[in-house]
Amino acid sequence: MIPNPLALIAEITHRCPLHCVYCSNPLQLAATKAELSTAEWIRAFQEASRLGILHLHLTGGEPAARADLKDLIAGGHQAGLYTNLITSGIGITEARLARLVEAGLDHIQLSFQDSRDEPAKWIAGANGHAYKIALAQKIRQFQIAFTVNLVVHRQNLDHIEEMIEFVEQLQPERVEIAHAQYYGWALKNRDTLLPTPQQLENCLRAVEEAQIRLAGKVRIDCVVPDYYARYPKACMGGWGRRLMLIDPSGQALPCHAAGVIPGMQFDNIREHPLEWIWRESAAFQRFRGEQWMPEPCRSCDRRTEDFGGCRCQALLLTGDASLTDPVCSLSPNHHLIETARSAAESDVEQVSWSYRTNMG
Amino acid sequence: MASTGRFSIGVLSVSRPSETSQPRLAPGCRWGTHGEQQVVLFPEGMIRVQGTGQNILELCDGQRTVQEIVTTLSERYDAADPAKVKEDVSCFLEALQRKRIVDY
Repeated sequence: MIPNPLALIAEITHRCPLHCVYCSNPLQLAATKAELSTAEWIRAFQEASRLGILHLHLTGGEPAARADLKDLIAGGHQAGLYTNLITSGIGITEARLARLVEAGLDHIQLSFQDSRDEPAKWIAGANGHAYKIALAQKIRQFQIAFTVNLVVHRQNLDHIEEMIEFVEQLQPERVEIAHAQYYGWALKNRDTLLPTPQQLENCLRAVEEAQIRLAGKVRIDCVVPDYYARYPKACMGGWGRRLMLIDPSGQALPCHAAGVIPGMQFDNIREHPLEWIWRESAAFQRFRGEQWMPEPCRSCDRRTEDFGGCRCQALLLTGDASLTDPVCSLSPNHHLIETARSAAESDVEQVSWSYRTNMG
Repeated sequence: MASTGRFSIGVLSVSRPSETSQPRLAPGCRWGTHGEQQVVLFPEGMIRVQGTGQNILELCDGQRTVQEIVTTLSERYDAADPAKVKEDVSCFLEALQRKRIVDY
């Protein structure tokens, strides 16, 4: 039996004022003119709610780049969904935030690139740090949940303690310390982003200390970089099992990066009901369950926990989406990860980024 | 998200609620339904609440004190030992505070 999805990730636009070097958006971004209309999104939220979905994650790009953000939040809220806004904060004034809360926003997740202005600008390819701080100071006036998301990598991990103290001052209930994940733009920049083993060890120690110190005040979640884990992450909680993503043009994907997998056909919510896409579409069935699994996954006890890892990562690193995720220490292709880790330990003198671009 | 490999490490004891604490759902945490079931929704997910947990949480309105909640529950379950009820309530609230679902 196919379980109902629990959350909908709505990438409402790929437009973004920032150009972060670790952006997980696809390299081929959706154009503005292809974006779903307000009414199309709201219809999708209503269908999602009927399908049993509880959480709506509005993301992008920068979701605030859409002038109708308030209407989308109201649409999600009225459909009975818990609405979460994942934002850089750019484009959200205090007055606009008040309107978003009024519309039914439950949770805001605000991203920071660094604790310091200069490196934040360097990573984002744009100014925004001071604006984010100013917005963070306004958020506490509202009765919504507040999470700070801090993306960490080789270029900022040497001052992780300072960054934790910085985000703590913003008084969120939650902090998510997320290691960059190597898809899209981040994979292009992997050699300069992947942390060293020493940095990772220090980071885990700093996080643990902060969790103890801040217990009951700030909940700190830490995403371990899968390149350093023994087993892969349960990407999306399993393909077509928990989550559904809709991209700006209405294509429904089982995973953010699934567009990179050759031969995949993604159905569009303009043409098919959400329930049909979830249950029947070829894309959602492609890696659902265990039938597709190769060895060593097929006979592995962990197959019901990590589902063989990430299909997109398998494709990006091995050229075949149906192989075991190479981050798994049991994968015959695990040497690809070991090579990348060795590269992280060699010194890089000159950092040259590929900044994320924008479409028209 | 592409990054669902989350974990939390290092948990030490957090301050227990006192008798005069007034517990309530934390900002952005609220009641909802999933099918027939009552759930509490929060940023990362939801918890199904039933039985004692539901009875406790329904009394957490930011007005009632822990002592009042314990008295109410002890009276409701005639035979319940108030000391035991207090221990259960404190434990339950402390666990949820750590997850940032409850404030007091």
